[in-house]
Amino acid sequence: MLNTPKARSRGYKPGERPWTACLYILPGFIIYAVFVLWPILDTLRYSFYEWSGFSSPSFIGLDNYIKLYSDEIFRKALVNNLWFIVFYTVFPIVIGLFLTALMTRRRLPGMTLFRTGLFMPYVMAMVVVGVVWRWIYNPATGPLNQALRAVGLDALARPWLGDFDLALPAVGVVGTWVQFGFCMVLFIAGVQRIDEMLYDAAKLDGANEWRQFWHITLPGLRNEISVAMVTTLIAALRIFDLVFVTTRGGPGNETMVVALHIYRNAFAINRVGYAAAIAVVLTIVIVIISVGVLALRQKWVED
Amino acid sequence: MKKLKQLTIVLLLLAVTFGLIPAPIMAQEGAACDADVIVQGDDWLSKIADKFLGDPLAFPAIVEATNAAAAADESYAQIDNPDIIEIGWKLCIPAAEAAQATLGENAVAAPTDGTVLTVWDIWTRGVDGQTIETLDREFEAAHPGVTINRVVKSFDDMKATAQLALSSDDGPDVAQINQGLSDMVALVQAGLLTDLTPYWQKYNWSERLAAPLAARNSVVGDGSAYGQGNIYGMAPTAEFIGVFYNKEKFASAGVEVPTTFAEFEAALETFKAAGETPIMYGNLDGWPAIHTYGELQNVYNPDQTYLDNFIYGRGDVSFDQPGNVEAAAKLQEWVEKGYFTQDFNGIGYDDIWPLFSNGEGAMYITGTWISANLLEGSSADQIGFFLVPPLEAGAAKPIVAGTSTAYTIRKSSPNQDLAAEYIDWMMSDRAMELWLEAGLVPVAPVESASIEPDTLMADMTQAWDQILATNSMGHYLDWATPTFYDTITASLQELQALRITPEEFVQQLQQDYAAYLAEKQQ
Repeated sequence: MLNTPKARSRGYKPGERPWTACLYILPGFIIYAVFVLWPILDTLRYSFYEWSGFSSPSFIGLDNYIKLYSDEIFRKALVNNLWFIVFYTVFPIVIGLFLTALMTRRRLPGMTLFRTGLFMPYVMAMVVVGVVWRWIYNPATGPLNQALRAVGLDALARPWLGDFDLALPAVGVVGTWVQFGFCMVLFIAGVQRIDEMLYDAAKLDGANEWRQFWHITLPGLRNEISVAMVTTLIAALRIFDLVFVTTRGGPGNETMVVALHIYRNAFAINRVGYAAAIAVVLTIVIVIISVGVLALRQKWVED
Repeated sequence: MKKLKQLTIVLLLLAVTFGLIPAPIMAQEGAACDADVIVQGDDWLSKIADKFLGDPLAFPAIVEATNAAAAADESYAQIDNPDIIEIGWKLCIPAAEAAQATLGENAVAAPTDGTVLTVWDIWTRGVDGQTIETLDREFEAAHPGVTINRVVKSFDDMKATAQLALSSDDGPDVAQINQGLSDMVALVQAGLLTDLTPYWQKYNWSERLAAPLAARNSVVGDGSAYGQGNIYGMAPTAEFIGVFYNKEKFASAGVEVPTTFAEFEAALETFKAAGETPIMYGNLDGWPAIHTYGELQNVYNPDQTYLDNFIYGRGDVSFDQPGNVEAAAKLQEWVEKGYFTQDFNGIGYDDIWPLFSNGEGAMYITGTWISANLLEGSSADQIGFFLVPPLEAGAAKPIVAGTSTAYTIRKSSPNQDLAAEYIDWMMSDRAMELWLEAGLVPVAPVESASIEPDTLMADMTQAWDQILATNSMGHYLDWATPTFYDTITASLQELQALRITPEEFVQQLQQDYAAYLAEKQQ
């Protein structure tokens, strides 16, 4: 009578596993297993086979991985992916922070319009973005070169996407254009969580805008920055659609990326086993980098 | 099953009621013609049926009435094959009611087992689709009870899904498959395609598809060798590389259509000096350069046997040949002399042909598949076509040439004969005629009054006749090995950016080719 044993008995003692709860998770888990886990394991399995996608696969052990080690196009693609991190992660976060600083410390007229406009590219389908930029970069009829020539900067007009030195930056800039709006929106939301009193106190102590940003805004955005880093890093490492639409990896292999190399091997030349091996390596790279960033964040938050 | 049985009984009853009773009346009316028609050039039966009976599918009624009339009156033609009618024939057009009766009778009398023939093709362009629709409807009309279920796929989509679909029991009966190692050969190797050799003989297809073109659709049964063995596909239209040119600009610059390569280069120089872009070119996509280089290779290395061996992986030949190096050097020379559109490396294929068809540039080197698109531009009536000339006038020179992707039959399809009949229809004179009208060059020679002289179509069919007569079909180089497409597009972009020498270019390709031959030997 003193306690309520009946009600207690329906609860769980510490350390006891709530098995019935698993039942509730089961439907979701089955879908996850069938559509995510199973394909991942299957990819891993195929990476040890030579398989054209047509005939029966034959087991070749680590041969695919050994071949991958000396695959120059793969190496070039991996380096290009690292370059894309600069355009997909570094630039968008820097630009996002700058815009956040601009937009949150002062009330500007038409703020919502700016925010929506700058966020728009992120909402558009990558294929559409690619087609639009291919048109912008068109050296014969595109607006970029025409504008340059109109103001007398003929010397700067280039075959952008077809130029061996400029193709990767040209595609990269498109990536920056797409990603910075996302970073900006994330940061603006984050800034609103920061206690206004901190800024007041800093102002009383005579801190200027820059010091306020450096000592209050930036540390306050640690969580948002690490989220932005993880998502944009993953986007940079698995970039495919933008390159496929704009350059298909050209000129030469200047804009070749790992995902495009996977696609070519799997679907164009029927080397599914080899493509699976590349996919496995790409997944491992992504996991390592993501875990690295998350560990960094943990340390940062604890400090 | 039960429902099907009931349906059959109902149909049988219908057949008895409508099929038998009007028959005697028909026999009398059959000879009576509502009108007589003399076949003109550019006529075909369904067109006549449409004109007189208001329904293109009513042509079997004309066939029947004409044959019935011919039995009594020899001035009428005897139609053995509705696909073939000759100019000057006298046809009997039955009265509309009689035609309806004939059609109804045929429809019920023929086996109405409701066969559905599923065809996957890649004719995505509007005009091409209309051609296929017309042919499909006529095929259905000639085969009562058969319905064609047409599924249109893009080239890439077909490539990605064909293998799964052809392994499935309810996959397409007929599918249009790309020739080459990664597609047709791989499918044959997996045992998914029907060997068409028996039909090749039955339908006399050797008259439709020239031997070198048949070789491209031929694979040794186990997929071990390509370019020989059994035939697995039939393709209805020809595609070959040549020079589209602006007649107006040629006339005002006083340039004639060149017959030697020296004359061709002189023409390029003339246009360059006059401030005109000699060759419209856009190579952002990489593949157009394969065709430009391929034609230069055929100029400097015109050995057909070598080229065949190289493409089909026979006789251990090498790509490292003096002629191939010379061709690469010539391509670089043209880049340096500014014969191509400025910044061509950054311009896409689909960005460049509209410029040419609207009057920019003097010439444009590409495949005949683009002709229908070019004819939509504002300078359409000024566009002519010639083949890249050989070093010496009249000398033999291969032309980069091929066919559309090929119609194949799924090995597990239950409708093998019907599928073959469908393919035969796609290769018929009627189909060839329609392709010509759609602006594509039919793969079999067509003697047609519908080609106007001095038009682009006339130039192209004449060029194709010449290629057929001399059997000088060159190859798309990217067919050589599974990885050759990626290798050659990348290497050509480097070559044209002057980043590698012609020797290095040839060595890069040879490296790819040697690796393939070594792998093949294992």
